[in-house]
This record gives sequence, structure tokens and C-alpha cells, in this order.
Amino acid sequence: MINKNTKILIFGLLVLLGAALLTYGAFFHSTNVSAQQDGQPVLLAKSESALIKDASVSGVKRDETGKIKQTYEIGEKAPETCST
Amino acid sequence: MVAMVDKNKTGGFTSILIDWRMWIQAAFLMVWLDPAGLRLHTMCSPVFHCYACPLATFACPIGVIAQFGALHVFPFVAVGLLIAVGALFGTLICGWACPFGFLQDLAAKVPTPKFDLPKFTGYFRYVMLIGTVLAVPYFFGEEHPLFVCRICPAGALEAAVPTMAGQVIAGEDIVWPSILKLTILILFLIAIFFIRRPWCRLLCPLGAIFSLFNRVSAFFLRFNADECTHCEQCHKLCEYGIEPEKTPNDLRCIRCLECTKCSPDALNLSSIFSRAQEQE
Repeated sequence: MINKNTKILIFGLLVLLGAALLTYGAFFHSTNVSAQQDGQPVLLAKSESALIKDASVSGVKRDETGKIKQTYEIGEKAPETCST
Repeated sequence: MVAMVDKNKTGGFTSILIDWRMWIQAAFLMVWLDPAGLRLHTMCSPVFHCYACPLATFACPIGVIAQFGALHVFPFVAVGLLIAVGALFGTLICGWACPFGFLQDLAAKVPTPKFDLPKFTGYFRYVMLIGTVLAVPYFFGEEHPLFVCRICPAGALEAAVPTMAGQVIAGEDIVWPSILKLTILILFLIAIFFIRRPWCRLLCPLGAIFSLFNRVSAFFLRFNADECTHCEQCHKLCEYGIEPEKTPNDLRCIRCLECTKCSPDALNLSSIFSRAQEQE
């Protein structure tokens, strides 16, 4: 049986951990994504928010080499529907 | 005495809330269905609602975790949100805010015979979480037929069906989802009339995550052994086969709070900060 103080401690730590991950992801985390612009390869640093939006419409994929690639060219419209 | 007054206050408020549960779920539905057309798909919601749905305000956290898994990128936003919300509410989210749970609650109102599920089936959710949300995306990518979004009935119902309807209306070729996804959708649509919340109890990976927080969340079900008369009324009130006086914060509980209607008032929604808890 977990007593009240332990519960408050666990709760506080979890909320802090959640808030820290959320803040880091939303404001500081970025991922390198290979994209094409006028046929030329370009490396983009996408924020996690942008990556969430792109991932939800299959706008980014991981290739065999482990690189994350944008499936549409810069300047083009992102896909509108999810491939699944 | 302080504890008694506080408990009665909480109990009274909870009983009012329970009577309004459907309306509270409906109010949350208005948040998730994007009535203002905001399409905030750069953020996750804490509920199971497909982001490919034409009416989705936020991204689905399970979809994001799986897609990021396929990219081999850690989903800080989705995981952080689920930890923070889980620590606060646990499965209260499932019972009160999730639109997919609400749909199943509405279907359960249809007067058909209802069948119960064996207790062990509750663990299938963790298999689903580890298998289709974490392992399959990470090791095989999003093309694999068991990638969670490819078998998800919420995705089929909320995204594939409206998309196909749009294609029919526009006179375009229909892009059908996989046979497996369609089969799961049909089975789900049959099951919701005969089993209460079949998806939540059997396979929901988000419910599996929130259930892990039930014992430590800020809001929890408090059992007062002194008030309990062992009448087992709570067993009858619980529609999910849980014995709330033995495990008030059971992993399978969706915190609909129906069990708190038991007349001896032995079960209450409480918080880790409440005075009643302090007196316990």
C-alpha cells in the first residue's frame, strides 16, 4: 500500500517529467530531414511539432540507410491523407 | 469529523458528475471534433481520435508514437503529454473524455444482450501496445500490416470511411483500406452492441498506458473499509467485471465512477491532496 506522501512524491515527479519532456519536445527538439528543392538535396532541421504534422500524413519516411526523408519537395503541398 | 464532512461533499459532487457523464463526454467531443477548424495537428491530444479524421483538432498520441517509432525518433511531446495527463487523471480520461469510448458507451445503450469478458483479456492491451505501437513500427516500419494505424478501428471509422464517402461523392476511384482493417472495423461495429467498450477493454493501447498510472494518479478511487458493509452492490454497479472494494484502482477500470453510487458510500473519487485522504 502506497502512503499519501509517497503518492504525492511520485505524482510530482511524474508531472515534472511529463512537463520537461513536453517542453523539450515542443520547443527545443529538432530532427534532421532530407528533402528535395528543385531536384537538389537539402537538409532540414524540423521541429518536433512540424514532424508530428508531417508524420500524420506520411510526409516523412525513413529509408533503408536510416535517413529520414521528406516525401514531397520543398514548396510543394504536403500529402493530405494518411497512407494507412 | 472533518474527514466525514469532506468525504460527503466529494461524494455528493461525484454523484452529480456521474449523472452528467454523457454530457461531459459530449462536451469533450466538441473539443476533439474541431468545430472551429483549427487543425492543430502539430500537437497531440490525450485521447484516442485519429488525426486523419476530417474532424480532428489534434494528432492521435498513439499514432504519433508509432510513426515516430518507425522514424526511430523519440516522441518527446506525445510521451510527455501522456505521462503528465496520466499522472493527473489515470483512466478518468477513458471514462470521461475519450471520443472513441463515448461512441462505445452510446452503442451500449442499445438494449441487446451483453456478454462479459474473462479477466485475462485485459492484458491483451499491453500486447497491443508493445507489439503494434512500439515493436512493429520500430523494427519493420509503417509499411508492415500490423502497424497500429493499419489495423486501428478508430482510423477506419473516423478517417477511412469519411474519405471513401468523399471519394464516392466526388466520383473518384475509391481507395479501400486493407482487408484486415475492414475486418477489424466490422468486428468492432458488431462487438460494441454486445460487449461494453470492447476496444477499451481488449485492445486499446492508450488505455493500457493510462491504466499504469491508476495507482499513483492525483485523482483515484478511494475505498473506505470502515463504511463497507460487504453488500457487494459495487460488483453489480460495475459494468466491467471489477470488484471495486478489492481493487479500487484496477488496471481494467475506466473510472466511470458508477461504483461510487453504492449506498454505504464506501467508494469515492478522491485526490492525493484531499483532507479525507489525510485522515485515512
